[in-house]
Amino acid sequence: MSLFGTTSGFGTSGTSMFGSTSTDNHNPMKDIEVTSSPDDSIGCLSFSPPTLPGNFLIAGSWANDVRCWEVQDSGQTIPKAQQMHTGPVLDVCWSDDGSKVFTASCDKTAKMWDLNSNQAIQIAQHDAPVKTIHWIKAPNYSCVMTGSWDKTLKFWDTRSSNPMMVLQLPERCYCADVIYPMAVVATAERGLIVYQLENQPSEFRRIESPLKHQHRCVAIFKDKQNKPTGFALGSIEGRVAIHYINPPNPAKDNFTFKCHRSNGTNTSAPQDIYAVNGIAFHPVHGTLATVGSDGRFSFWDKDARTKLKTSEQLDQPISACCFNHNGNIFAYASSYDWSKASALLVTPHLAVTVDTAWRRELTRKETGQSRWESCAGRPTSVAATFGLTPCSSRQTPKWPGNAVLCVLVCELLQSPLPSRGPTEPCAPDPCEGRLCLSWAWTRRCLGGIG
Amino acid sequence: MTICQFFLQGRCRFGDRCWNEHPGAGGAGGGRQQQPSGSNRRGWNTTSQRYSSVIQPSSFSKSTPWGGSRDQEKPSFSSFDSGASTSRNRGFGLSQNPFASPSSDAQKDDKKLLEGIIKDMEIWESSGQWMFSVYSPMKKKPNISGFTDISPEELRLEYHNFLTSNNLQSYLNSLQQLINQWRNRINELKSLNTSTNIALLSDVKDGVNQAAPAFGFGSTQAVTFGSPGFPVNNSSSANAQNFSFKPRSGFASAPSGSPPVFGNTPAFGAASSASSAITTSVPSFGFGKPAVTSAASFSFKSPAASGFGSPGFSGFPASMAAGSFGTPGAPAFGSGTSMAGFGSLGSHSHTAFSKSSSDTFGNSSISTSLPVSNGSTTTDNELFTPRDQLTAEELEQFQSKKFTLGKIPLKPPPAELVNI
Repeated sequence: MSLFGTTSGFGTSGTSMFGSTSTDNHNPMKDIEVTSSPDDSIGCLSFSPPTLPGNFLIAGSWANDVRCWEVQDSGQTIPKAQQMHTGPVLDVCWSDDGSKVFTASCDKTAKMWDLNSNQAIQIAQHDAPVKTIHWIKAPNYSCVMTGSWDKTLKFWDTRSSNPMMVLQLPERCYCADVIYPMAVVATAERGLIVYQLENQPSEFRRIESPLKHQHRCVAIFKDKQNKPTGFALGSIEGRVAIHYINPPNPAKDNFTFKCHRSNGTNTSAPQDIYAVNGIAFHPVHGTLATVGSDGRFSFWDKDARTKLKTSEQLDQPISACCFNHNGNIFAYASSYDWSKASALLVTPHLAVTVDTAWRRELTRKETGQSRWESCAGRPTSVAATFGLTPCSSRQTPKWPGNAVLCVLVCELLQSPLPSRGPTEPCAPDPCEGRLCLSWAWTRRCLGGIG
Repeated sequence: MTICQFFLQGRCRFGDRCWNEHPGAGGAGGGRQQQPSGSNRRGWNTTSQRYSSVIQPSSFSKSTPWGGSRDQEKPSFSSFDSGASTSRNRGFGLSQNPFASPSSDAQKDDKKLLEGIIKDMEIWESSGQWMFSVYSPMKKKPNISGFTDISPEELRLEYHNFLTSNNLQSYLNSLQQLINQWRNRINELKSLNTSTNIALLSDVKDGVNQAAPAFGFGSTQAVTFGSPGFPVNNSSSANAQNFSFKPRSGFASAPSGSPPVFGNTPAFGAASSASSAITTSVPSFGFGKPAVTSAASFSFKSPAASGFGSPGFSGFPASMAAGSFGTPGAPAFGSGTSMAGFGSLGSHSHTAFSKSSSDTFGNSSISTSLPVSNGSTTTDNELFTPRDQLTAEELEQFQSKKFTLGKIPLKPPPAELVNI
């Protein structure tokens, strides 16, 4: 009996984390894979703002690096640049003019990366890993907001090494989002605080958490007048809460919904519940996307309170997601999010299957686009403890298991739907098919509903 | 008019035609989402809540036990200011509700709460979801004690740090301990016996008092929950345990500034080598958060401190408390090898920790440790009584190892007698 509950995922076929058969399930949606993905789990993704022509994608990973790609309209991704931190990168964001990228890392610093000169300088310092970083552009000031596990929220003028302001949080900052003039910070112990950023950042309200478990991710949404009006909060319990700040009817307007669970509405069998790792709102349609530890991403319409679409299950959890500025491109990162705490704690018989599952080495020669790297060496002493035979190891131990992830980009169309009825999924055209399928259903899903 | 019994149960056949009084029907009928009218505050709010829980909004969440219906109940809970809610909870025994048994309302609510908790625990355990998370039985309620919040990133960072120091085994051990602790707590919550019931209920209820102020009403709340608790609780024996220990929990948390004494924090910090990331993340890793440890420490320390072992403890031997309280002192300022030592005691202190926190009467959850500790610094007079204000008998009670029923003092003990 696994410590983490019985899951059908660890089936006997065991070629993937989620127990599918031997087909390669790392990209079931046939979306575009980004070339030269980072070597370790991706913690954060961010697309460039509209002020920059073209689409640039930044990803921070647990391999201590931040990478930048240019994503072209055809879907081609071109790696552009890379910067390193001394610790895993937990959050990235762009400045509003698209010239700088801010990165927050476990080495307790945040850096500002000037893309033109490809220089990165440190702009922030905390006493504990910096978990969130956001750029705030107000009419009378602009600054970088960093939230950290040292329970503080600091605001930095990039030119000075002292913070402009320090706000105390009740607990460690777990996630945050900023759309001027509103900022939301979710902390440990189910803390939830809303800040207003006009004039200077100040605490607006502390909200009692609508969720029962640990907060994992938060995203602000806007109303029809493009003003931030509420936020979506995801927890580790496969649930997302939609919360309006000043709704006319709180009990009816605020609601929660379950997602990323294995059994859907069938409540008879015990469900597998997965954490919601990221939430992103479509900048134009206002629909939201959630990605979870179950390896799926889903699109939802919060006004109609319906689920629009769920993807096929990938063989790894999806750890981050992001829309580009006009909503044409949705990027998601498939990589281990540590949701099982460690591969090594699984009981031996399960561990073996997992072990073999994660030892795949795959080189995609036909597309030449990406390369999966095999799992890293597991320290032999530990493996012996669990009765496992050490897998073939590389010299540099990384997280045992599939250290890699790939960033997949699927392109969405923005044109309005011809009809809202269910349509047949189109057959993927083998050659350019990768793009077709995602166009078709995402067009159905994301455009024009409501 | 007499209150209609059937209406209270939610099954009055006559409805509006009924000749008896339907309390709160006006408020409940009109806007269930709105604040109940002032007259409801006395205690009928529970009625209107239960009534309103019949309405199921057609939202996403209809299959959840708490998604839809609790949405209705939420406003009534949160709409209370702390004072009113205090009186609501404590006032059940008083003459404010001379009519039908208000305790049955409370009991029904409690029962639902407990059932909800048990169900949630079962789901949590079977679903494979992330285990290091806090939990609260209903939205807008405070967290139940005994669970710590660790995010996957924090855990992973610990792993990385241990990896660099080549100390993977200690990571696994600590992880195993955390998991065991979590399991114990879940099993406790699943198999509720009466004492854990009471503790849990007071946990949650006190939380209700504190729910609003959880984020900073602070000093005022510390006072209110301290003082009204005394005279009122004298009446109901069920609450006797609550009251007698709550104040202790109040001030035992005053020295919340000493988390390391609890001994868990350095466990991880010690094992790592130079990595400063560990030492700073130590407070947040495991049970090490100062807020948590102070909450834990006050639940833990209060028995050891005041030595009133048994009444709230249901078999948790005071010596055990003392013993495991003492030992964390050793690794508190940890050396590298303390890890192993800690590991062996670890099971003790962990289970002790989890047990005591569940039996803790009045362990008004983690979030309240903040306001209480704030409060305690500014309102020391209300939390402790100076020695000279105590009668000889009260003094004797405080000084003895256990309280004798019937002689339990109504005032908080003096600061000097509280062993910190």
